[in-house]
Amino acid sequence: MIVENGKEVVIRVRGLAKSFGSHQIWDGLNLDVYRGEILAIVGGSGQGKSVLMRVITGLVKPDTGEVKLFGQSTKSMSPQDRLDIERRWGILFQDGALFSSLTVLQNIQVPMREHLELPQAMMDDLAFLKLSMVGLPPNAAHKFPSELSGGMRKRAGLARALALDPEIVFLDEPTAGLDPIGATDFDHLIRKLQQTLGLTVYMVTHDLDTIFTVCDRVAVLADRKIVRTGSPTELQRHPNHPWIQEYFCGERARAASPGERPRIPANA
Amino acid sequence: MLKRDHQLVLPTQARAPGFRVELRGTTFRLVATGAWTVHEAAKLDTALKRLRVPIPPTPDFTGEMDIAGIAEIDTAGAMLLQRTAAAWEKSGLRTRYAGATESFRILIEEVQRRSRAERPRIEKRGALTSFVEDMLKALTGVWRDAVQLTGFLGEVTAAFLRMLRQPWRFRPTSFVHHLDHTGLRAVPIIALICFLIGAVVMQQGVVQLKPFGAEPFAVNMVAILALREVGILLTAIMVAGRSGSAFTAEIGSMKMREEIDAMRTLGIDPMDTLVLPRILALVVALPLLTFLGDLMGLAGGGVMAFVVLGLDASNYIDKLRDVVDFQHFMAGMIKAPFAAIIIGLVGCLEGLKVEGSAESLGTHVTSAVVKAIFLVIILDALFAMFLSGIGM
Repeated sequence: MIVENGKEVVIRVRGLAKSFGSHQIWDGLNLDVYRGEILAIVGGSGQGKSVLMRVITGLVKPDTGEVKLFGQSTKSMSPQDRLDIERRWGILFQDGALFSSLTVLQNIQVPMREHLELPQAMMDDLAFLKLSMVGLPPNAAHKFPSELSGGMRKRAGLARALALDPEIVFLDEPTAGLDPIGATDFDHLIRKLQQTLGLTVYMVTHDLDTIFTVCDRVAVLADRKIVRTGSPTELQRHPNHPWIQEYFCGERARAASPGERPRIPANA
Repeated sequence: MLKRDHQLVLPTQARAPGFRVELRGTTFRLVATGAWTVHEAAKLDTALKRLRVPIPPTPDFTGEMDIAGIAEIDTAGAMLLQRTAAAWEKSGLRTRYAGATESFRILIEEVQRRSRAERPRIEKRGALTSFVEDMLKALTGVWRDAVQLTGFLGEVTAAFLRMLRQPWRFRPTSFVHHLDHTGLRAVPIIALICFLIGAVVMQQGVVQLKPFGAEPFAVNMVAILALREVGILLTAIMVAGRSGSAFTAEIGSMKMREEIDAMRTLGIDPMDTLVLPRILALVVALPLLTFLGDLMGLAGGGVMAFVVLGLDASNYIDKLRDVVDFQHFMAGMIKAPFAAIIIGLVGCLEGLKVEGSAESLGTHVTSAVVKAIFLVIILDALFAMFLSGIGM
């Protein structure tokens, strides 16, 4: 376990480099994620926000650099260690990535079926509980992903990510493609789940509203590394970087900033 | 998963979950310890189910869930506690929680609130009912398909006639492109398959006819079979698999991405641009491919005749000349344009029926191939009856 400033570092990324062909997306990228925080990764398109999530979750291999999960380096991990770590996180992909041949309930039960041996009644109870926690009505349980709206698919995807009560959830653009009301609901949901389940949330987002209302910390990807981290208001007050200046002090950011709208308090 | 103390790393034995029930004064207490997480849930579930629900002797007895000894808890653990507490409440014990930290309390309250939701019942039907229902569905499906296909045939005919009056609607580039894809590029595979089948039929014919001393008649059999049936059927089936599915996939993926709607709003008729060039190209390509298939079938038979009968090329051709009439060739050839229309219609119609999702594309491609092959064989049977009726 790595402890820094009295907080546990659950994900530590050091000296990461990755290039696709001749295009180098990062060079010496460092990042720490602390337990219990909601961290947003922002950056212009093509900066490799989603790729960084994929590197941390092991879907993409970096050229050089090291990723430590719960204090364990991914390089020295045995396949069994890897499996144990994978049970401790849940991932929500952009469009939910639900299995199309399974109903929502069966989708939520997939991780339970794969990793644990639970009686069916217990799995049903748990799946209905998760369904309700992500704000889906019980009658969505027996529907197939194609019968759900985009927002409902995201919620169902989140329920599957939460199936094994993970410690970390990765969210890839959780509010993209949702209408403003749906997006606000989703923000509240993330905050609420983070508190009840004690989650660490790592999200890739563009949504300034999400950043200002729920995120504890923001890490900015620019110039092929994480140029700055800090709370949203801190970054807005002292951007110290042209891209951050543009992002946090532009027209849209002014409309979304906390002066205009109250932040969801930590124990709402 | 919530831990009582984040900094604390538990030794393994302290993680083992457990509970005991005791009666203290007028309070039934469930004292829970260890890690109540989803990984331990199966064990806890069976143990808790075995636990008898205490029956209060007098109404002033109460229940208590003492969770001070729980080191880790998640929704599964909270749900198990909640289930037990609910059972106790039901038997008349007012049950409360003791020893919860703030974060444990939030989780348990959330689980309590969420457990009350009603669940929808899935209707379970008997095997017979669902069998009959599936049968009826399939039958009405066949009827609906027939209606749709006839309607589509009408639409395509109307579009074709309109094109004859307004020839500038014809898309030569698209037509040539599809002629290349459905015709020229199918040549190697169709040539090979027809050659092989011709050879196989000849070899089998000789083997079967030998006991009767009639093996020279194998040549008659191969010649007539190849020209009347095998050439056209094999070619049509191959083209249905190759091009019919490609039509569905191409048009279907355009439909999926709303390209076809975009075309309509731009004033472009998808009939003219997508459907007609494909069907016309197929109507031209399939007879040509059938001709090639006929030739290759005869060639395959010839090679095998040389191997098993010792018949050389000039003798084989002489024999063919005796056996084969022009009408045998025509009986096969006449079916080709009709088969082409069927394959083209089914392929394009299934493509246009694709809806939003990728699964829908997959099922329609499959059903296009199956339907096209089925209809081609039906067509062949109808032609066989018709042609023998008129004495061809």
